[in-house]
Amino acid sequence: MMLKSKRNELLAAAVLMAPFVIIYGVLFVYPTLRMVQLSFTNAPLIGDGKFVGLDNFIRLSRDRLFSTAVWDTIYFVLLSVIPSTIFGLIIALGVNRLKGWVQSVVLACFFLPYILPVSLVYRIWAWMLDKDFGIAQYAIAPFNGGVNISIFRTIPLFMPAVGLITVWWLIGFNVLLFIAGLRNISKELYEASALDGAGRWVQFTHITWPLIWPVTVLVLTIQFILQLKIFDQVYLFSDGGRADATMVMVQYIYKQAFQQNHGGLGAAASLVLFLVIVIFSVLQFQLLKTRGGEK
Amino acid sequence: MNASVTTPSEELIVPARRSWVRTFDHIGFIATILTAAGAVIWAFPLYWGLVTSLKPDADVVKGSIVLYPSPFTLEAYTHALFQTSMGVWYVNSLITSVATTIIVLIMAAGAGYAISQLNFPGRRILWWMILASFMVPIQALIVTHFVLLSQFHLINTLAGVVGPQLIAPVTVIIYKQFFDSVPRELREAAVVDGANEFQLLFRIYLPVNWGITTALAIITFIAAWNNFLWPFLAVTSQDKMNVTVGITQVYDAFGVHYARDLATAILGGLPVAVVYLIFQRRVTQAIMLSAGIKG
Amino acid sequence: MIRGLLRTAAAATALLTISVFSAAQAADTLVWWDFLGGGDGVRMKALIDEFNKEHAGKIQIEATTLDWGTPFYTKVQTSTAVGQGPDIMTYHESRIPLGISTGSLSVITPEEMAASEIKASDFEPADWKAAQDADGKQYAIPLDIHSAILYYNKTLLKQAGLLGDDGKPKGFDGIANWDAALAKLTANGVSGLTFPTADNASTWRVFYTLLNQEDGVFFKDGKFLDGDNLDKATTAIAEMQKWVKNGWTPKQTEYAGSIAQFTSGKAAMMINGVWEVPTMVDLQKKGQLFDWGAIQIPTLYAHAATWADSHSFAIPDRKGNPLTPAKRKEVLDTIHWFNEHSLEWAGGGHLPAFNPVRDSDAFKNLKPNSDYASLAATAVFDPVTPLAGVASPVYDAAGNYAMPAVNGEMDPADAASQMRDDLQGQVQ
Repeated sequence: MMLKSKRNELLAAAVLMAPFVIIYGVLFVYPTLRMVQLSFTNAPLIGDGKFVGLDNFIRLSRDRLFSTAVWDTIYFVLLSVIPSTIFGLIIALGVNRLKGWVQSVVLACFFLPYILPVSLVYRIWAWMLDKDFGIAQYAIAPFNGGVNISIFRTIPLFMPAVGLITVWWLIGFNVLLFIAGLRNISKELYEASALDGAGRWVQFTHITWPLIWPVTVLVLTIQFILQLKIFDQVYLFSDGGRADATMVMVQYIYKQAFQQNHGGLGAAASLVLFLVIVIFSVLQFQLLKTRGGEK
Repeated sequence: MNASVTTPSEELIVPARRSWVRTFDHIGFIATILTAAGAVIWAFPLYWGLVTSLKPDADVVKGSIVLYPSPFTLEAYTHALFQTSMGVWYVNSLITSVATTIIVLIMAAGAGYAISQLNFPGRRILWWMILASFMVPIQALIVTHFVLLSQFHLINTLAGVVGPQLIAPVTVIIYKQFFDSVPRELREAAVVDGANEFQLLFRIYLPVNWGITTALAIITFIAAWNNFLWPFLAVTSQDKMNVTVGITQVYDAFGVHYARDLATAILGGLPVAVVYLIFQRRVTQAIMLSAGIKG
Repeated sequence: MIRGLLRTAAAATALLTISVFSAAQAADTLVWWDFLGGGDGVRMKALIDEFNKEHAGKIQIEATTLDWGTPFYTKVQTSTAVGQGPDIMTYHESRIPLGISTGSLSVITPEEMAASEIKASDFEPADWKAAQDADGKQYAIPLDIHSAILYYNKTLLKQAGLLGDDGKPKGFDGIANWDAALAKLTANGVSGLTFPTADNASTWRVFYTLLNQEDGVFFKDGKFLDGDNLDKATTAIAEMQKWVKNGWTPKQTEYAGSIAQFTSGKAAMMINGVWEVPTMVDLQKKGQLFDWGAIQIPTLYAHAATWADSHSFAIPDRKGNPLTPAKRKEVLDTIHWFNEHSLEWAGGGHLPAFNPVRDSDAFKNLKPNSDYASLAATAVFDPVTPLAGVASPVYDAAGNYAMPAVNGEMDPADAASQMRDDLQGQVQ
């Protein structure tokens, strides 16, 4: 009897795990190993290559375009993650004060962009900022001597603009997490401190901020890792222009592997991105674990 | 703070509290105004895109600000629906998104249940692998995914678009956590009645967590619908494109028309916007769950 | 709208069903990819419709228009590598060396051409050879020769006293005259000249034109901008930068914006491709355009020269999934049909590649093409290297170095030397 139930359990486990194991084996484990192997060859995108040792990595370290891609990625991460965290918290504080349907409507305004596809975000903002007919040019031109300016063809403006659009697009996620965090702070704490005569600023620095800090760390790390993988917006907005000057890492992989047919070099760049993100994810995981431990 | 301490000093505190309430309202009013203004600013680009798409072409490039579509026309939409491949792209998006959602949920529920409730060799290793894969950037695998799927002749097929999107470890993690918290008594009672593992999963564990399944289904669907990078790489011909790729890659043979571009993009985002507005609560719940916060 | 959607879905399903059963039916589908937008797109669409009507029940072209330039060629390259892609596609001759090196193009044999009545003698030798590799293997069949021209607003030129009695601009040749003309035309909020200064392809066309007018060589014997060619490149970029710096040419202008500047009278002249001729013709027909003309780009330096390229048709080399001989025959017949009907294509401003059409009276009477037909004699095609052509490293370099310099964000000499170093570094 015992044995039979044991056997049934194993059988059930095998059946239930099978889809997962097969899909992950084929689409995750194998491609990862294959990426490592490819990164040491000079293979084109499709087809075999020769083993070339560390050549691809040496080439990456000397490639100006790759260092541009690395720096632009870091720059983009700073431009998107920090403002979206700060504004996310401010908006959450504002929304959290509201009640009823007003709150739902206001929250929906901030959140709706988050669930929309990047293509729509791209079209909307390309139109908003269009050099000749964009409505935002009325606000921008006075700063440029009254002349309209092509935001996405002016290199110093490209990343800040895409960063800002990304903040607009994805802030709903941060707002949501912050609101959840704020709701978890007991009302009694505020009431008690109010009785002690604490003002709003004191309440914020002594109650809200310390208690919302863990959520802030969570938001920062999630956004940080997400934005390292940036491709869509940067690719779409740079099309037809000066893509090299505003290249980011995934775009570099795309360019090498899919446009220049350098599969091996693309795989090597992928491996670098892969390792960077894994390192940061492990750090995040450790951070969350220690935080969990403190609780 | 306890009652015996507050009672004697209550009279002293009341005036202070009154004045605090007054300043609170003052600042609160400004905060409300600012939040509302922020919401309007946030919603404006979407509104402006919508208004533009409803204007006749000649009005769009007039270069003056008209905040409502007058005269009003659906020309851009009828054009997008009947003169472009929008219909085919819709069908493709629907097929790939629904397929992704169903496969991910079946796979995740099965794996989540097995890891949560069953004892089998390799369970811990698999669990660690899932946690680890949570950290791996799928974007780093684009080169090898392309190579792999081309070996299976799945490039430029709908199945090829679905493939790499099935890597969604977070759904397994969420299912496992929720199955962990299903009371033991329910299980034991059913086991006494002679239920096998599959009956347990489908008659108890899934129905108890029905809300989670709905929430996960909705965000998996939205994510699949919005996905850009992989469908962009995996599809080469117009008839296999999904909405998000089609509207940015295929050019209208009749020149640049801002209203039409915006109309196609809005149609592309409409289904997810509708899904969000209907299932608002589920969407926010699922997003918080995937960020590691129990909602 | 929902009903419309359902109808579209039903149509899509029907289409699918049809394509499934089409094998059993008579009409064969030719999958066609092109990159033709704007006026070109309109004309090609009309030609395809005509072809489909004429071949009803036999061959039907199913056309897709993808985004011009890099997006189009990236899709071609990745899809052919995995055995996918169209049966027939448009291809820039300038990019054929690159297409050969990435294995995107399949060889068209002399026997196949003969079977479809395609003859080398029907084409200009230079144009024909541009579609071959070093061994003389044919990879494409030309459709047209196209170039950049100078469009001008007759009213504004007349006001400035720059219009001759023949309705053509006078006194433009030579740098000093040209600059003086631009300065004169720039007044009252009107710019002297516009070209798409925010578009890498357009920047390349103007730059390459000026470089060749100086007798500069962009690429030769494995070397980019060798010797004093670097100085000539600097001179060309500096000249373009001067136009922008002096306010004669609006900076950071997108492709569509540049056309709008000219057609709205905000720029007196425009350098753009011949393919924008129909835009002007159509606007004038509607009574929405001033009296305009177009000529070959004036000679600013040593001698006349104009950048040129050629649209051609090619068969993709779909790895492991090649076209059947019967299908290839069909494709080549189709190509021949389009060449025979290229007078309509010439309505798009292009010069037909097919001699019988180009030599016909009908074409000779076609205006304004005949006004700039002279450029054919001094046309310069892009350098022959896998690094050049549309959506190539050379185009990227024009966008990454020349374009910022033109817009005043970079020194012309730095731009030229960085462009050389970047491209030289990619020579294998």
